[in-house]
Amino acid sequence: MNKNQLDLLVALQDIDLMLKELDDVKQLGFEVRTEGAEALQRAREELTQKIGKPLLGKYERLRARYKRAIVPVKGDTCLGCFMRLPTYLITHKDKHNQIITCEGCGRILYWLE
Amino acid sequence: MNISDLLSFLSEDRFIPELKAKTKSEALEELTDILVDANLIRNKHLILEMLHRRESVGSTGIGHGIAIPHGRTTAAPELIIVFGRSSSGIAWEAIDGKPVHLIFLVIAPPHEEDNQYLPMLGKLVEFLHDENNRNKLLEIKTFQEFEELIKA
Repeated sequence: MNKNQLDLLVALQDIDLMLKELDDVKQLGFEVRTEGAEALQRAREELTQKIGKPLLGKYERLRARYKRAIVPVKGDTCLGCFMRLPTYLITHKDKHNQIITCEGCGRILYWLE
Repeated sequence: MNISDLLSFLSEDRFIPELKAKTKSEALEELTDILVDANLIRNKHLILEMLHRRESVGSTGIGHGIAIPHGRTTAAPELIIVFGRSSSGIAWEAIDGKPVHLIFLVIAPPHEEDNQYLPMLGKLVEFLHDENNRNKLLEIKTFQEFEELIKA
């Protein structure tokens, strides 16, 4: 399956979320192999090579500022800053494939619906 | 948090008494399909990718026939749990090498206001460490029986 840049960014953020909580799930009794964590880092590296440099830079800047660069949209609300998004964004025909940022907080939007 | 809080995240439409899946990959897909059917997620591929990545870090088969595939993903709208059971058992590369019969899929969004994901995972592990609970989960036939066991 060919992934668009937005899906690649979501996969990248999911890896970052996983890396952050590896110790927590290990403490709960789940197996977390050292080589598995290293493989996860390698998967992250491979993924970053598929993302355009300006977009990757934007992701890293937003991540440094907000911890999460991509935030979900529920209904018509950005779940990053809870601002209601304008109608032209809600009705954007290609919103599931395009990189669209919130006009309130600047984070990249992922449309849940 | 109590184990009974699990019922806030696992409803009857997320209860599969007998999985059709014969492999780990098929099981993850079957459990995820439930969420597509319920219109809870729109892109199952992102969720499956995350779950397979998690398995590559270490098996979520915690032994005694139990697996709890889990993870946070941007594609999840809320904390969601799906239960599936396999009478014949599924190879999961579990820590004790035994096939898995009871599977709880747990996915969560990147951030929840009340941070219930990790405490819920912990409660689930604790509940399933009890042999009595595991045996009952293997025997129950309906969601109502499942609810009674969780509330007991």
